[in-house]
Amino acid sequence: MENPYIPMPVTVDKIFIEVDTKEIKTFRLAFVNKTDEERFNYRPGQFAELSIYGKGESPIGIASSPTDKGYVEFTVQKAGIVTSELHDLEEGAQIGLRGPLGNSWPLEFLEGKNIVIVGGGFAFTTLRSLANFMLNDEQRSRFGKIVMIYGARTPGLLCYKPELKAWEDRSDMETFVTVDKGDNNWKGREGFVPTVCKQVAPSSENAVAVICGPPVMIRFTLPVFFELGFSKENILTSLEMKMKCGFGKCGRCNVGHKYVCKDGPVFSLAELENLSREY
Amino acid sequence: MITKIGREKLQEFVAGLMKSGRLFAPVKEGKGTNFKLITDPQSVTLDFYNTIQSPKAVLFPQSEDLVNYNISHDGIASEPAPIDDGSRIILGVRPCDVQSFEIMDRLFNGSGIVDPYWSARRSNLTIIAYAFDRADPVDFYNAFGITGSDEQGSDILMVRDTNSFLFKAFTDKGTKLLETMPFLEKGTADDEKRMTEIVDKGRDIATRTLDTAEIHKRLAGIFDSPYWEEAAAACLNCGVCTYVCPTCHCFDIQDETLFGEGSRRKIWDSCMFSDFTLHASGHNPRTKKSQRLRQRINHKFSYYVENFGIISCVGCGRCTRSCPVNIDILTVVEEAR
Repeated sequence: MENPYIPMPVTVDKIFIEVDTKEIKTFRLAFVNKTDEERFNYRPGQFAELSIYGKGESPIGIASSPTDKGYVEFTVQKAGIVTSELHDLEEGAQIGLRGPLGNSWPLEFLEGKNIVIVGGGFAFTTLRSLANFMLNDEQRSRFGKIVMIYGARTPGLLCYKPELKAWEDRSDMETFVTVDKGDNNWKGREGFVPTVCKQVAPSSENAVAVICGPPVMIRFTLPVFFELGFSKENILTSLEMKMKCGFGKCGRCNVGHKYVCKDGPVFSLAELENLSREY
Repeated sequence: MITKIGREKLQEFVAGLMKSGRLFAPVKEGKGTNFKLITDPQSVTLDFYNTIQSPKAVLFPQSEDLVNYNISHDGIASEPAPIDDGSRIILGVRPCDVQSFEIMDRLFNGSGIVDPYWSARRSNLTIIAYAFDRADPVDFYNAFGITGSDEQGSDILMVRDTNSFLFKAFTDKGTKLLETMPFLEKGTADDEKRMTEIVDKGRDIATRTLDTAEIHKRLAGIFDSPYWEEAAAACLNCGVCTYVCPTCHCFDIQDETLFGEGSRRKIWDSCMFSDFTLHASGHNPRTKKSQRLRQRINHKFSYYVENFGIISCVGCGRCTRSCPVNIDILTVVEEAR
């Protein structure tokens, strides 16, 4: 029996500094053991525990897509002990990885539907995984129209800039990138995510909205989607909680009787309405 | 078949058990009694009502190494700590506490990813239950259909007679263990009768009780009630209730390092502490003690029922007995309306 508490060794293959404050970096990890790589079968929306002995573990959403082979990526904001240590690492360092954990974006449910992806700031990582998965040549035909609305406070705080550009150039999706406030070099859209959602007004016809962002963004975005006719079953989000074990034993990440680590992190709004508001 | 041993020969019995596996049994400690790994047969006592700490540490130690590591200039070397899964015998477990193992099994062993630590030890555990002969006013195990002399979940049931202890095995494991104890006497017809009498008396012990019908729905219905502020008003968030509880299973995973040598450990944690749910961002879904008390009650009487079909409480009364401000879990649940 595999011990679910023991991390697999991985090497930090590449580090991408995502934002101008350097507080958000993407870590591209490569498996030390081929067998671990083969076993790490994940789906967009899942997370894993990043481990540094002597510091601890931190649960982070997987930012790469399962269609990306040979590595797995995590976009990490510098916040606590583990993530600060991660930010100090250099390429070539060895760390640990435990996972994949949690449910995922419900790909079977999304199949055949039009998908509206709404992301804010740094809470975009598993949405990027989902987007890259759906846009993969072998997967694209499984999904209908893809509309992407992504915003950050400033241009410098937008993650995945090269990809945003590539998505804007694609003809098989519509991409709307916005910032709360631009700067002298910013030629793109300005405005809060909820406002842009209202302007873009994606159709709710056979559509699912997948929304991740800071609470304030979610609060003002949801009414827009209700007005557009999206049902609570067709609005999905991903929750964050303090976690330790990551598979429902250690008892700390529950919202009501659901454990975010194993029953989530992905929930529909309809599911969340049945749970106590304690997150 | 009943076997027996004179009270004066208890030490011989204990020494015999020690030969069959690591023995955990009640030992006097300060003003109370606790389950300890026995190295000296003389240290065991069976003159106690119930232990201060529950027997859960036998399967789920308060602190356990997962990985040992060494941090040096050359990097980090790590090695998973071997799982301590040798055979264990636990002597003198009260029937309500025996049920706690079955409750914890549903989480650690019976759902989702299995916890290898609990699982390995559980399958190597022999339980010698010890019937109650009286009730403490705080206990309420009757509420969960448990009586003072239930054998359910144990391998052997032990009762105390005037000058002897009587044993009856209920599993093959139990029968085999008793067979290896050459100095146990075969019980006479009188002993059989005494065992039945004592067990019947144990079944009749009346504890406090509680109406548990639809309890999880009732609690879910009052989640937002101001009741929880009132119920938690005196609570100090000391966490003792969770530490003495036989079914509290929440744990933390922490790294402890000294001069480069360290280990990643699984250690008991408590939902009574504010940092239990504190995010690295500073956000905390449970900043108030009323939210934390509500979590503890709901976890046991509502969420666990939803997830595993059983209330995660055995009515042992430990949390009430240990609480420094006299919060009584039964009263809290009863008045939660």
